[in-house]
Amino acid sequence: MDIKNLTKGIIKENPIFIQVLGMCPTLAVTTSAINGLGMGLATTAVLALSNVFISMFRKVIPDKIRIPAFIVIIASFVTIIGMLLEGYFVDLYKALGLFIPLIVVNCIILARAEAFAFKNNVIDSLFDGIGNGIGFTLALLLLGSVRELLGAGSIFGISLLGAAYKPALIMILPPGAFLALGILLAINNKIKERKTV
Amino acid sequence: MKEIIKLGMILFFISMVAAASLALTYDATIDQIMTQRSIADETARKEVFPAADTFEKASNEKMSELQNINPAIADLYYAISGGNVAGYVIKTKPSGFGGSIDVVTGIDTEGTIMGLRVGNHQETPGLGANAKLPYFYEQYEGLTVNSPIKVSKTIPGENEILAISGATITSAAVTDGVNFIDEIMDHLNK
Repeated sequence: MDIKNLTKGIIKENPIFIQVLGMCPTLAVTTSAINGLGMGLATTAVLALSNVFISMFRKVIPDKIRIPAFIVIIASFVTIIGMLLEGYFVDLYKALGLFIPLIVVNCIILARAEAFAFKNNVIDSLFDGIGNGIGFTLALLLLGSVRELLGAGSIFGISLLGAAYKPALIMILPPGAFLALGILLAINNKIKERKTV
Repeated sequence: MKEIIKLGMILFFISMVAAASLALTYDATIDQIMTQRSIADETARKEVFPAADTFEKASNEKMSELQNINPAIADLYYAISGGNVAGYVIKTKPSGFGGSIDVVTGIDTEGTIMGLRVGNHQETPGLGANAKLPYFYEQYEGLTVNSPIKVSKTIPGENEILAISGATITSAAVTDGVNFIDEIMDHLNK
């Protein structure tokens, strides 16, 4: 058990800014801060659980067929969670249900299963899942906030820039996702560079 | 060869367990999910037609009659108040910018709009998707479909709505969805 497994995913090995994983949902859903947060939290839950599952079964899954086995296991239990949420936790489903089908094939989940959970024990895998989930959530929240602020003049629907600000609509359209992500990656690299010098 | 069979068997076993647990969960939750969905639908109908006590689904014959007039008519419920038909809740599927948009309109027997909501859609987030916000859909309340509703980009006049800025196509599509109702108005009663 090592607490570093929890913390490293948040900044040092941030799934988006460092590992550059899960770009598809990242670019697609971050049109607003609330969407980024929702997707992040739903992914965190799935990531933590899938890491635990994969770690539990790592001794019985043969190396050669691990990828299809991962996909079957992850997709099944994400679907099960989706059904349980829709039936019994309607409010939670309304907030996060939209993101659940997007998570099933998210490559972060598969990447952490392959890179970490398949080789480590259950507790460490759980930590790794939560840590990466938090890192993913923070990155999506940041990206969503930047895009919403520039593209709609608000964050979490609260207007910040006033009526005089003319929103740059492109920021909430698909090209804005690439622009915002690219700039944030560049800033991140600059900060990292300074640290190492 | 032996290894392939062995791996195949393991994968088969994993899939079988996964399929079985999916089937069991489905079986255990489907009633609950259906109840939740019908509660959600009923609440949605109540939102566009608050004066109604109950809603009654139109017969299949009625639906095919209406769809012959306009195939974009997706659903019709009678809004019953005090035992009489007070109006209708109609779902239409006009074509928007990204595909069809579900528009649910509550309308009284005279053709006055009691309420409108936009359901499933694939419009652009931040632009067309704003059709789901009250500032847009509330504009339709009180308008009538007896003459076609128009979309204005500046200042809306009589029986006009103000388009969402940057999403004229979506605004026009939702308005189309409402205007479709005029075509079927004479055929609505049982």
